[in-house]
Amino acid sequence: MFSDFDFGVIWRSLPYLFEQGMSFTLTLTVIATIGGIILGTLIAMMRLSSKPILSGFAASYVNVMRSLPLVLVIFLFYFLMPYIGQWIIRADRPIQVGALSSTMVTFTLFEAAYFSEIMRAGIQAIPRGQVSAGYAIGLNYREVMRFVVLPQAFRNMLPVIFTQTIVLFQDTSLVYVLSITDFMGAASKIAQRDGRLTEMYLFAACIYFIICFTASTLVKILQRRVSIVR
Amino acid sequence: MAMIAIDNISKWYNPTFQVLKDCTTSVDKGEVVVVCGPSGSGKSTLIKTVNALEPIQSGTITVDGISVTAAKTNLPNLRSRVGMVFQHFELFPHLRIVENLCLGPEKVLGRSHDAAMAKAEKMLERVGLTKHAQKYPGQLSGGQQQRVAIARALVMDPICMLFDEPTSALDPEMINEVLDVMVELAKEGMTMMVVTHEMGFAKKVADRVIFMDAGEIVEDARKDDFFGTPRSPRAQAFLSKILAH
Amino acid sequence: MNYNWNWSIFWEPTPEGTGTYFDTLISGLEITVLTALGAWAVAFILGSLIGIMRTLPSKPLVVLGNVYIELFRNVPLLVQLFIWFFVVPELLPHALGIWIKQLNNGPFYTSVVGIGLYMSSRVATQVTAGIKSLPSGQRMAGTAIGLTTVQTYRYILLPLAYRIIFPPLTSEFLNTIKNTSVALTIGLLELTARARAMQEFSFQVFEAFTAATVIYLILSAVVTIGMRLLERRLVIPGFNGGK
Repeated sequence: MFSDFDFGVIWRSLPYLFEQGMSFTLTLTVIATIGGIILGTLIAMMRLSSKPILSGFAASYVNVMRSLPLVLVIFLFYFLMPYIGQWIIRADRPIQVGALSSTMVTFTLFEAAYFSEIMRAGIQAIPRGQVSAGYAIGLNYREVMRFVVLPQAFRNMLPVIFTQTIVLFQDTSLVYVLSITDFMGAASKIAQRDGRLTEMYLFAACIYFIICFTASTLVKILQRRVSIVR
Repeated sequence: MAMIAIDNISKWYNPTFQVLKDCTTSVDKGEVVVVCGPSGSGKSTLIKTVNALEPIQSGTITVDGISVTAAKTNLPNLRSRVGMVFQHFELFPHLRIVENLCLGPEKVLGRSHDAAMAKAEKMLERVGLTKHAQKYPGQLSGGQQQRVAIARALVMDPICMLFDEPTSALDPEMINEVLDVMVELAKEGMTMMVVTHEMGFAKKVADRVIFMDAGEIVEDARKDDFFGTPRSPRAQAFLSKILAH
Repeated sequence: MNYNWNWSIFWEPTPEGTGTYFDTLISGLEITVLTALGAWAVAFILGSLIGIMRTLPSKPLVVLGNVYIELFRNVPLLVQLFIWFFVVPELLPHALGIWIKQLNNGPFYTSVVGIGLYMSSRVATQVTAGIKSLPSGQRMAGTAIGLTTVQTYRYILLPLAYRIIFPPLTSEFLNTIKNTSVALTIGLLELTARARAMQEFSFQVFEAFTAATVIYLILSAVVTIGMRLLERRLVIPGFNGGK
């Protein structure tokens, strides 16, 4: 069945696939994860704030983002960002925003909505007594959050955060729609150039599977560790 | 002839933990046998082996002459003839009371809906819950739920009944309404195997009492002998604890 | 901002001559909804079967179910769609492969199957969790009155489990709708693809994507409200979920 296929194409394109493709995929994953967690935590704190303006804004942001397909958001930000940039720096014409920086911003903003829901659940799971104890020893709100609540919430939610990161890693393949050379983009460029769709797409699937399966297995082990400690 | 015959059965949860050790006993037709013992003694496991809810690794069990342990036995068929009442009632929460009572007769026994309804109403009346027929289990008290559970077993016209700690999940004020129904059943000649700590019930209607400890049947005696002079120190210790107050 | 707003663009005809831009967006919405419903049917049925399989006492079936879930969960949807669309027809017997490639609605069928299988692994995870969250006594009680395994699932375990997992299933259905947009990469003319095409032809970036955004928000609100109404109808008095 595979006699017509040429799996050598994979071997020949390995440097391109990994040095260009995978390194972009991983960079985007790391930046969007870190950015998403920081922004997401801020949004979660706003959402739990007693000020209706803050919590209302945070809730709308999260609900809108979670109602939209990522593909649409990628396009949306790619086309809008030049105009937003122009408005921010008061330029004469839409500024140039490359596909790369555009996706970094998009993924950070998009994933922040999902990370904020995780962090909100984490913060809410910390017993009220912890907050009271923090105030009782004289800490203010920021200090209670910074030293008492967030470290515990983050620690407890670590497995869920990692799971979301695996989802994010898979989601990065969607930058294909902007013709960016991420891992999948690289695979599909070679596939089309050499007419080797079958070989390249199966290979890409295998690589994604190996990485995600390994990572999710590690998360399961971590989860067991965390649950023993508690 | 014995209605339930348990012959030399053993059960392991894993190679190192044996829950039942060479247990042998029997329950005759019309007999009421109470099984008691400290928690973890294997009494609940023993009663669940009778209708094969718990598999065993060695020994044999027969109910009404039919082997429970043989591979070719039609277990659903056998179980439909053995009524069982659980500690936590286990009514089906998504079905109304009357639907709980009709499920078995219609789906297992293949009775018509009308016949199943007639029988269900009769049994609900018998346990005194006719006016709750259209409610859901979650809307009844624990005692009422357990009476429904007994009715659910009775609509199947069982040849014998198994009770697995039927009152131990109940608030004290609800225990008697359930025991009353069970006493009635015993007096009518139902063959019953009852795991319970209610020694008052045992004294009132039991024919025999089995005492278990650490997976073994330590004592298997006629009621008067058991409450008179139990032979084993373990049974004596258990009785003195349970009858102390 | 020197952007030329033109909200009346929606009522102008497209260069393809198939009606106004508004018409194309609505036809995109139709495709989105149809694809999502088809994929959800596949996901729900297959996912339920796999999910149930993982709760049976047979070890090989449990392992098979686990393998299925890992396989579909650990490869990005985009890659899976490419495999169904570009690769599978090549691996099939020649005549069958040609026939599939020449199917009129190829992208649609591929999306229904591809997104359906992808989502089925998520549905399966939920179904397994729902069944496992039930007290073990429920299964025993069913068995004790003589119900067969099939009957126990049909009359007792599944009606309870589906009620318990109703909220997560709702969000998986919403995910299915959102995931249909990935299928624009294999040429499915769904809502996002239509908005993108409108932007390309008309250069009215804001209007095109604002419209698509609003439509997705409405769609998601309608589904959420509908599911909440349905959930309220399924409430059992006195029952508040598993253990």
